[in-house]
Amino acid sequence: MRVLGIETTCDETAAAVVETDGAGRPIIRSSEVLSQIAAHAAYGGVVPEIAARAHVEAVDHMVARALERAGVELSDIDGFAAAAGPGLIGGVMIGLTTAKALSLVTGKPLIAVNHLEGHALTPRLIEQVQFPYLLLLASGGHTQLIAVRGVGDYVRLGTTIDDAIGEAFDKVAKMLGLPYPGGPQVEREAKKGNPERFHLPRPMQGRPVADFSLSGLKTAVRQEAQKILPLRASDVSDLCASFQAAVVDVVADRTRVALRGFRDIAGHPTALVVAGGVAANMAIRRGLERLAAEAGVRLVAPPLALCTDNGAIIAWAGLERLRMGIQDDLTVAARPRWPLDASKDTRAGAKA
Amino acid sequence: MRVLAIDTALGACSACVAERGAPAAISTETMVMERGHAEALLPLLERVMAHAPGGFGAIDRVVVTVGPGSFTGLRIGISAARAIGLALKVPVVGVTSLSALLSPIVATAGDRVAVAAIDARHGQVFIQAVAPGGRVVVPARLATAREAARLLGSGNIMIAGSGAGLLAAEAWSVGVNATVAPDALFPDPLWVARLGALADPATALPKPYYLRAPDAKPQEGGALPRA
Repeated sequence: MRVLGIETTCDETAAAVVETDGAGRPIIRSSEVLSQIAAHAAYGGVVPEIAARAHVEAVDHMVARALERAGVELSDIDGFAAAAGPGLIGGVMIGLTTAKALSLVTGKPLIAVNHLEGHALTPRLIEQVQFPYLLLLASGGHTQLIAVRGVGDYVRLGTTIDDAIGEAFDKVAKMLGLPYPGGPQVEREAKKGNPERFHLPRPMQGRPVADFSLSGLKTAVRQEAQKILPLRASDVSDLCASFQAAVVDVVADRTRVALRGFRDIAGHPTALVVAGGVAANMAIRRGLERLAAEAGVRLVAPPLALCTDNGAIIAWAGLERLRMGIQDDLTVAARPRWPLDASKDTRAGAKA
Repeated sequence: MRVLAIDTALGACSACVAERGAPAAISTETMVMERGHAEALLPLLERVMAHAPGGFGAIDRVVVTVGPGSFTGLRIGISAARAIGLALKVPVVGVTSLSALLSPIVATAGDRVAVAAIDARHGQVFIQAVAPGGRVVVPARLATAREAARLLGSGNIMIAGSGAGLLAAEAWSVGVNATVAPDALFPDPLWVARLGALADPATALPKPYYLRAPDAKPQEGGALPRA
């Protein structure tokens, strides 16, 4: 089975071809990603209208390139998957419409994939991790802890009630005058700094539900910085190091709580999986490694190219759904918000 | 040459299949709607193609309205058109919604200036106008209704498009005899097909024609002062 996947939910225009061999093992035949970072840098964040304008100019080219790199024709594709949300609706519609049109012309199935499900099923794409496992999805737009029990069977154990982790990194970078995107910049500065110089809060620490809150931490960074203006280079490094250390503690604490909650609903996890752009942060990764060792589970961190947004994880989620007989019709709508776990739809402030 | 035309740029979701130069479409459907194009378009295309003998395999060219219009709407049509072009390996051409509105009224305008005016909200219109004989009086642009009326001068005019009422009121207020063309709120897909069949794929690219910059300002400041 071979599926083409399209991703346009944020600021990457991506397409990929993923297939399974005779034994059902996944093979990524191609994965083409066009990042719009440069187009948004001047604005200090992703501007939805600018993102949509870039997606519509690029998505068909990315599909053509993905087919070419994979060495297949459109007629060799068994299904067309697109991320139908959650995300910036203008972009989501472009990718979804493209997949619908390809499905209509070829007569092959359409699969409307939840972008979060793409991340949730990634460990099965890279090393066929068995269900159930605990996923920490942390990016600029999402911060969730999810019990993955099967394809389409997800229980959200925690989410952020305000900023996503990557968003908090970007905002701290912006207030300290570091370029966009701020995550890697903050990590670089943090390496040079003293993580104990500033005493920052660990929001939600010890709370029994595995939710996150990052906005107070970000405010605390600003308040500490304002006490010592103007900022010298070493102050910036120390602020970054102190902020990152607080995030590492928060992530470990919240994930520990989620592991406890996981056992109640799904038994022992086969792995702790981290995905999303924040998984690129080595300090957070090390924190999770320590936690995994302590909890007796394996940490699975997909390669960075599959942690950030791409078409391969959408194609794979589409393939997992399609081989279970799940597909969608041409009327399916793009969704700006789309929780993986429908039962948690109404939680206040919960993104996606 | 057989053409598939798509229009989702304005207050309708339409498609038709037509042969170049034919007086009528082989298959056509128009749904009037302000929003919901994204969900409506592909099922509509499925129906239109089901009534066209030969189906997608007989299509030689895809035509799409590229705007100006609803940013979201025109991107839906363009995404679909470009994907169909990719799948069929046929050219995709863009036609502006202004020229698609203008073409059918040029013939009936007689000695009047033919005007396409699309409501761009906030008292503004996307406008284009041609005099009898085809001379361009106002090239495609965004203007307030008042500016637009001034640009059109004092001769009689006939206006098509969702901004026709707004512009006609302005024109009347300065003593210009303005007529609103009937049934011309959005492009007729057959005219989109006709214009697209004549267009040069090398220049009539299927790219959005927004005529309005994104509403975003580069951010400066916000950063704390550095030593």
